[in-house]
Amino acid sequence: MTPANNFIELDGLTKNYRESGRSVTIFENLQLSVKRGELLVLLGRSGSGKSTLLNLLGGIDRPDSGHIFINGIDLTTLSEHRRTLFRRHHIGFVFQSYQLIPTLTVLENLLLPLELIRRIRLEDRDKAAALLNELELTSRLDTYPDRLSGGEQQRVSIARALIHDPLLVLADEPTGNLDLQTGQQVMSLLDKLVRQSGKTLILATHSREVMGIADHIFTIRDHALIETGD
Amino acid sequence: MNTILNRAGRNFLLRHPWQLALALLGITLGVAVVIAIDLALDSALQSFKQAERTVSGNATHRIIGGEGGLNEALYRKLRVEHGMRNLAPVLQTYLPIRQNPELKLRAIGIDPFTENAFRSGWQSGQNGAQAAIRLVTEANSAMLGRQTAEALGLTIGDELIVTTGTGDHRLHIVDLITPGSAAATEALRNIVIADISTLQEITGWFGKLSYIDTIIPETDPRTTRTRLADLLPGDVSLISIETQFESMQQMTEAFSINLSAMGLLSLLVGMFLIYNTMTFLVLQRRGLIGNLRLIGVTRRQIGRMIVTEALLLAVIGTALGTGLGLLLGQLMLQPISATVDTLYFKIDALSLSVSPLQIGKAVLLGIGATILAVIPPLREANRFSPKHALTRSQLESGTRRLTRSILLLGLLLIAVGFAVGFMSETSIQLGLASVFLLLFGFALLTPSVTLSVMSAVETLSGRQFGILGKLPPRMIGAEISRTGVAIAALMIAVAATIGMNLMIDSFRVTVEQWLNTTLQADIYVSLAGDKPARDKAAKDSQLKAAITELAEVEEVSTVLHTQVAAGGMPVKVSAFELTEASKNGFVFKQAFDAELWRAFEEQQTVIVTEPYAYHNKVKAGDTIALQTAEGLQDFKILGIYYDYSGDRGRLAMSRTQYLHYWPDLGYTGIGVYSIAGSDLNALESRLRDRLPQGLELKSNRAIFDASMQVFDETFLITETLRWLAAGIAFVGVFGALMALQFERTRQLGILRAIGMTPGQLTGLICTETGLMGLTAGLIAIPVGLLVAYVLIYIVYLRSFGWTMAFHLNSAVLIQGLLLAIFAALLAGILPAYRMARTQPADALRAE
Repeated sequence: MTPANNFIELDGLTKNYRESGRSVTIFENLQLSVKRGELLVLLGRSGSGKSTLLNLLGGIDRPDSGHIFINGIDLTTLSEHRRTLFRRHHIGFVFQSYQLIPTLTVLENLLLPLELIRRIRLEDRDKAAALLNELELTSRLDTYPDRLSGGEQQRVSIARALIHDPLLVLADEPTGNLDLQTGQQVMSLLDKLVRQSGKTLILATHSREVMGIADHIFTIRDHALIETGD
Repeated sequence: MNTILNRAGRNFLLRHPWQLALALLGITLGVAVVIAIDLALDSALQSFKQAERTVSGNATHRIIGGEGGLNEALYRKLRVEHGMRNLAPVLQTYLPIRQNPELKLRAIGIDPFTENAFRSGWQSGQNGAQAAIRLVTEANSAMLGRQTAEALGLTIGDELIVTTGTGDHRLHIVDLITPGSAAATEALRNIVIADISTLQEITGWFGKLSYIDTIIPETDPRTTRTRLADLLPGDVSLISIETQFESMQQMTEAFSINLSAMGLLSLLVGMFLIYNTMTFLVLQRRGLIGNLRLIGVTRRQIGRMIVTEALLLAVIGTALGTGLGLLLGQLMLQPISATVDTLYFKIDALSLSVSPLQIGKAVLLGIGATILAVIPPLREANRFSPKHALTRSQLESGTRRLTRSILLLGLLLIAVGFAVGFMSETSIQLGLASVFLLLFGFALLTPSVTLSVMSAVETLSGRQFGILGKLPPRMIGAEISRTGVAIAALMIAVAATIGMNLMIDSFRVTVEQWLNTTLQADIYVSLAGDKPARDKAAKDSQLKAAITELAEVEEVSTVLHTQVAAGGMPVKVSAFELTEASKNGFVFKQAFDAELWRAFEEQQTVIVTEPYAYHNKVKAGDTIALQTAEGLQDFKILGIYYDYSGDRGRLAMSRTQYLHYWPDLGYTGIGVYSIAGSDLNALESRLRDRLPQGLELKSNRAIFDASMQVFDETFLITETLRWLAAGIAFVGVFGALMALQFERTRQLGILRAIGMTPGQLTGLICTETGLMGLTAGLIAIPVGLLVAYVLIYIVYLRSFGWTMAFHLNSAVLIQGLLLAIFAALLAGILPAYRMARTQPADALRAE
């Protein structure tokens, strides 16, 4: 049972992977509580397990032991199908390498998460147009991702993560492939849009530049989560 | 440097074992089918040749007559009166045996005292020369191959019970022949040797021989041959053994070419598969290749790396293909020889013979096809600059531009295909080349057609199912460099299937219609028995008279199928006694009047079958010179009639004309026409009462059914090969889809991450593969129709001389379409299942 005030609760989370026939621990017995609307930054070296933790939170991977409560629902007890449906409705992903569908236009990429939930309505198109307008992508609606710059692709990716009004946005190194200036623009957009809508954001990065916008900063070190303070 | 460079490429292959296996499978299957057909076909013919060579021994020439055999007096005249020594008389027939009713032994009657110079192998038994004396001195003595004797559980001193037209006879085994080599053992399988007089006695061939073997010395062949030929009666020919083999080979030429073409079709489909896999392997490594180019590896080095890999794959695939080909060849040997047996001549012994040349051909084909298939991906790899090696979409947009050039090349090949087909007059090879050019040309149109179809599907499905509906056609279009090849391979296989099915169907309908027209009588009596048997003609004649006297019988027609000689070679002849009704069984190619039948009966004329006219390039009004005892006689051709009973053709003449020049050999069949309204069952029963043992009675329905069964059996091997080609195409589509899904793993992972369920993902992949199958099927329908048209009006007409009516069976087209969709869906199931089970996180981590 998750404590009433916490939006996210990790309880004794352990994840291992197998390499060359032996088991390697990524993290062990993690505990974490996050309140609704908070922005949490995960720091750590490459390979420390930041992406793995986001994958577990997003329900696209399963822990070896422990529990993940999001909004009172224990993801670890859900079937594959139920986890997918949970993700479809409540999670938004932003990836380092954007991960847009190359065969869909900008607008179609944006509308796809909505279409998985329901048949697209006129107001959905208006909402997508407004979001793209805010992200200064109105002129690229019918463009395919491979014609966009890295910054533009990441802005589309952010819009896609928010279009279906999720409870939680998970961003994995969203500025990792961008230059400093574009990265700052993307971060400020992400911060603004997430804060505006009161969503919870967990952001994995190894860049300390983004620490200023965080409510909490955690570092994964020696298989454990350590709160680093402000 | 080079070692590490090669290792970089090799490691990539080893990390994608599925693709490696599929590439090997493509080469293996392609090579295996070609070598299997080559081996089986060649072995069937070689087995025949080997058996004939063993039987003919040192003989260089053979004196032959018609089916009535040679008069024994001829042998005496040549030997005694003209002092010709190098002669060996032979009587040959097939004898059913009591010990194994399914088996017919080839009985060869010889004169043991003249044999040594010709065939000494049969004296290799433990009793040697003594056994030869016993053959002459002991009544009903015979020798049997050791292997055959063992198979029948017989040994020296036992009795072999054989059945002939004169009843059952017991042959005493006096020796077992032990051949010196494996080839001779095979050749002497199922052979029984006896003295000529013994065989003449038990078969009733009194005073008759099948042929006389002779040895004409190489030093003075012309003089001896001319002298000997001059001594022969007009209806007897002297032919060289080699010429006889060649004519046998020629008989099966069209059959061989058509079968080999089926093998090449498998290789063509296999080549698409190799090309597809090699393209995948190169394109997937664009990152690796880009990085290697970045650190200074030259295009030449990249090229060498890819060619080395391809060669390695080719060598392994060819070795595996050769091994599999040997196995498949062994399996195909029986059905192929059975077809040769039914259509052309009897093959007594069978063994798979492999020559270094055949293996060399397979190696050349496997390696050549792989190298040919790797050229386009090699060019592609050499186009990668370090910069654009990393972007897929640029590659695809390049491919899209290329599809226009490919489209033009395809159109050009189609035009050349038509030109080759229609302008090559009689060449079977060029006719088949036209089929291949058309198939290949349409395969090149496939990417462009696919893009158009996908565009239309996207509009329709987008309207109905939104973005999710647009995804499958978009994915196919976006990866046309891979999907296009897979669709083309499937299209070729399905088009070939549709084409062959329509051709076989048209042929079947044509044969059915022909049989329905030809089988005019109510009941047919089949008269077996050796034609040269002394009393056969008299017995047949009595039987005919007895049948005619039956109250229910209105009239009877008769036929004698035999052979006469023309130009020194045997020609099939049917001598008819026709009733008015049976004349309706002939359908002529040109208009004819009652005058034709009057001339047929009264004048020295013949009518010829369509295949005979085609192969011998004769037409109505021409004359054919036939060898008779009275010398060459010209017979005028009155007309050409449709006949599908054999592909070498035959002549038909009235029995009166036949008996004018050739001996009475009785009948092969009697057609019984009942009085209208009579009870056919009662008539059949009364006929049976009058039939001597061994003769068969068949209603026209039974003959129709038996004929159609033979028809189906002769197409069995073609059907098998067609399915093999379809199987290879399926492997191709399966491989292409597997590779596509491998490469798309991350993209599918994203879809899962944003909320697509495993079921939806399966639906997406299956819709995509189903659309690929649908496209292949839709293109295959018109191409299949075209292939059928070329097969019917060009290839089969040139091969066998048969005119067939095009019969459009819509069920064949629907089956083809469903086959394409089903094969593609089946090929998509495993990738879909695998992707649905993959954790999205793992998929997102994929390379």
